[in-house]
Amino acid sequence: MSLKHDIEFALNGVRKRVAVDVTMTALDMLRDVVGLTGTKYGCGEGECGACTIRVDGQTVNACLMFAVACDGHDIVTIEGLAADPKADALREAFVEHGAVQCGFCTPGMVVQAAHILETNPNADAATIKRGLEGNLCRCTGYKKIVDAVESACCGGR
Amino acid sequence: MNRETIVGTSAPRVDVRDKATGQALYAADIDLPGMLYGKVVRCWEHAHARVVRLDLSAAAKSPGVVRVLGPQDVTANRYNSSVLDLMVSEQMHDMLGDIEDQRIFTDHVKFQGDAICGIIAKSEEAAERAAAKVIVEYEPLPVYLTADASKQPDAIRFTPEKPGNLAFQLPEPMFPGHALGGGDVEAAMRDADLVVEDVFYVPKQKQCQMEPHAYIAKLDSTGRLNCWTSSQMPKLVQAKLAKLFGLPMSLVKVTPTVIGGGFGTRLGLISEPQACAMAMSVPGHAVKLLTLREEDWVISPSRHPGKYWMKIGFRKDGTPLACDARFENYKGGYYLDASGTAFTAGAWLGGMYKFPALRYKGESYFTNQGLTGAYRGYGNPQTNFVLEQLIDRACAQMGADPVEWRKQWHKGVGDDGWCPGVTYPSCALDECLDRGAAAIGWSEKRRQYAHQSGTVRRGVGVAVMNHTSGAMPMLLEHTACTVKLNEDATAEILFACSDMGQGSHTALKQIAAETLGFPFDHVQLSSGTSDVAGFDIGAHASRTIYVGGAAVKKACEDVRRQLLERAGRHLQVSPDELDIRDKRIFVKADPARAIEAETITRAGVYHFIDPATGQAGGEPGQIQGYVSFFAPHNSPPFGASFAEVEVDTETGEVRVLELVNAHDIGRAINPAAVEGQLEGGIQQGLGFVLSEEMYYDGNGRILNNSFTDYKMFGPSDMPKITTILVEDPDPVGPFGAKSVGESGLVSPVGAVANAIFNAIGIQFTEAPITPEKVLKGILEQGVRDYGSIGGAH
Repeated sequence: MSLKHDIEFALNGVRKRVAVDVTMTALDMLRDVVGLTGTKYGCGEGECGACTIRVDGQTVNACLMFAVACDGHDIVTIEGLAADPKADALREAFVEHGAVQCGFCTPGMVVQAAHILETNPNADAATIKRGLEGNLCRCTGYKKIVDAVESACCGGR
Repeated sequence: MNRETIVGTSAPRVDVRDKATGQALYAADIDLPGMLYGKVVRCWEHAHARVVRLDLSAAAKSPGVVRVLGPQDVTANRYNSSVLDLMVSEQMHDMLGDIEDQRIFTDHVKFQGDAICGIIAKSEEAAERAAAKVIVEYEPLPVYLTADASKQPDAIRFTPEKPGNLAFQLPEPMFPGHALGGGDVEAAMRDADLVVEDVFYVPKQKQCQMEPHAYIAKLDSTGRLNCWTSSQMPKLVQAKLAKLFGLPMSLVKVTPTVIGGGFGTRLGLISEPQACAMAMSVPGHAVKLLTLREEDWVISPSRHPGKYWMKIGFRKDGTPLACDARFENYKGGYYLDASGTAFTAGAWLGGMYKFPALRYKGESYFTNQGLTGAYRGYGNPQTNFVLEQLIDRACAQMGADPVEWRKQWHKGVGDDGWCPGVTYPSCALDECLDRGAAAIGWSEKRRQYAHQSGTVRRGVGVAVMNHTSGAMPMLLEHTACTVKLNEDATAEILFACSDMGQGSHTALKQIAAETLGFPFDHVQLSSGTSDVAGFDIGAHASRTIYVGGAAVKKACEDVRRQLLERAGRHLQVSPDELDIRDKRIFVKADPARAIEAETITRAGVYHFIDPATGQAGGEPGQIQGYVSFFAPHNSPPFGASFAEVEVDTETGEVRVLELVNAHDIGRAINPAAVEGQLEGGIQQGLGFVLSEEMYYDGNGRILNNSFTDYKMFGPSDMPKITTILVEDPDPVGPFGAKSVGESGLVSPVGAVANAIFNAIGIQFTEAPITPEKVLKGILEQGVRDYGSIGGAH
């Protein structure tokens, strides 16, 4: 019925080989095939950012990417940030600032925020807001999220 | 001075690290062995139709399909997915006319997305492929999208129980003339020097919780129906499922999952009936039922839209004489909580200002729009949009300052709140107004913006609100809570009410730790499952801290009393003379005389008898505290919002520059969490007034069921936000706390509308105030200096 395709990629720094349906999204592969459920389905059309992952250092909506397109690439998910000290500081900033409420947008927010900090360590509030524009949150009004990211800028200085 | 050390601090949320690392398990993340996947086949073509043929044969043969279920394959029992029926007495239920008009699968489609049949398959993809093979033939019926359309005499009845498709009006015995209020409105209006009146439209706003609805159900080997749900009301879900499927409650087990946002949409049931019906057809298998975002949009209830007429009379010195109002809201195709918002919109109206005469009529009409039900604010933003604009219109014409007028005429301590007889025990609205005005620079900016030129105009506006802390006295306010002390003097608390993300469980843990005199981390609090947790009505009506917190406090006081009694006997003093700090129980007048709580709890559990002496050490028995708590009162919060806006008169765009939300919350148990509620409320309030509305085509099919086409504010759209927590401890609430969950979104609505009025001298009667409407208003009425209106201040 469905065509399977073997792919191989780096997932959070570890080589991974899986067979995926050619119509499958990267999001479904991460959640259902690999079993990493930190990346969330929120809308399926790239609007909410709950499924934000990093592909070769760029942030991508996993719901808009085919699983087969992961072949040969370097994929990092929220789970992969666990071992990253910079991301750890960022997560602690989210904790300290009360930037998490229901938490459903949070993994995508953290992945995107980590990307902002890495590409623009001196980002100001306006830059951070622009950077988070693709990540929707319905709980916080974004204030504490932006505050948290700003406080983690420049290594928290 | 507050003597508390844990209450009043911004303790980190108990679930924050799990959530920030992606480890928190929402329903969609849970994977059980041998799990099957369900798919509800919905009617997407029509908003009103009869099913004339349903052919499931091809779907049943589709690869991977385990079962297909039509209306005949599930219980024919009807249900009401909302919960008001469980919150009022039987007599009240009959008087309100609440009905059960929903079925698991229907042959009479009443809104786009109504459930037709179900597929159970070995994978989501297989279920979706099979769903596409279901053959349904429909006989289209006339589509009614407004009350005006569905109330026509020849309109098809949505249910035989409701003539004229009038789902609800305030019932005569309780509300003479079907109206809430009192006094002679007609006579008072005749005495008025100034009358302001208009008809408004309030929008159909969607909660847009980020987690799409997801469920798992399983009929286990003992014949128990298990349901994993993100409902805001797990105990009522248990009761509802038991009734629907004719099971004793002991055979229904509900396990609450982490909730990815609620805002009212998860109040009661959504797809639990379909998920459970599927599971019951495949005993022993868990069935997971996921929801696509576009589907989530249409199957869960949204805010009630409708027409809202209001007329207010004043003496020329500003004295309000009478308010006359009628809110005709549009239900979707089913009843749900039709009696709720129709009432509360008027209740908030009655609770706000000292109108000597008030007459409010609330009516709900069936339409073929998507379902309407609970949404944070529950009728309050609708009233705020209407009332607060009319007050400012009158102020402009009378030359009154909107802040001063509100300070003079809002209700306060001792006045009847939103329900007659339940008076306000506290009110710090004046302080909210003063501090909010100072924060935004009210006086200076009002002077500055009274006369402007140029294409971009600025304005500042104010609005106030009252809300509720729980639903007493109209609805049941009951929470049971159990506290168990472990042998090492740590506490485990069972409390069924969900934390939807507000941080309520963290704040409740603070209340518990403070009451017990234990460190924060030596207290654990969980919802448990329906097996172990006692009754709780659920997370709604901004009740979790005010009512739930009082219940937790009482149960902890029960434990504390038992501890002090045992300590008193040991130290040979009266328990009244003792206090607990950091688990150390000491004589207040002589702190050196003390005993560790753990000495007592350990002796209570490990109660050994010395074989040599036959004597035991300490007193036997594990200490547990319990309360079955009914809220004795209601202490509503108040709030004042101030907005500064910039209106581009060439494009019609409104940019909110600053929003100040000053709130009388009694006492902030966890200030950061309270701020979070107010900040998040602002985003939803701004959406209501400026950008959010579900649109339908003429056939009742939704046009914008996606985040692409439905505009909620993103990070860059948000204004500068200032929240001001006004703490004037309430005499009733736990540690002086009142509610904060819903109320933050209410008054930003009126404040922004009034700021636009201040900027361009035009009021808009239809929300959301989109650029198109602003341009149309400017085209028709022209931009006016606020200073040129009447005797404008």
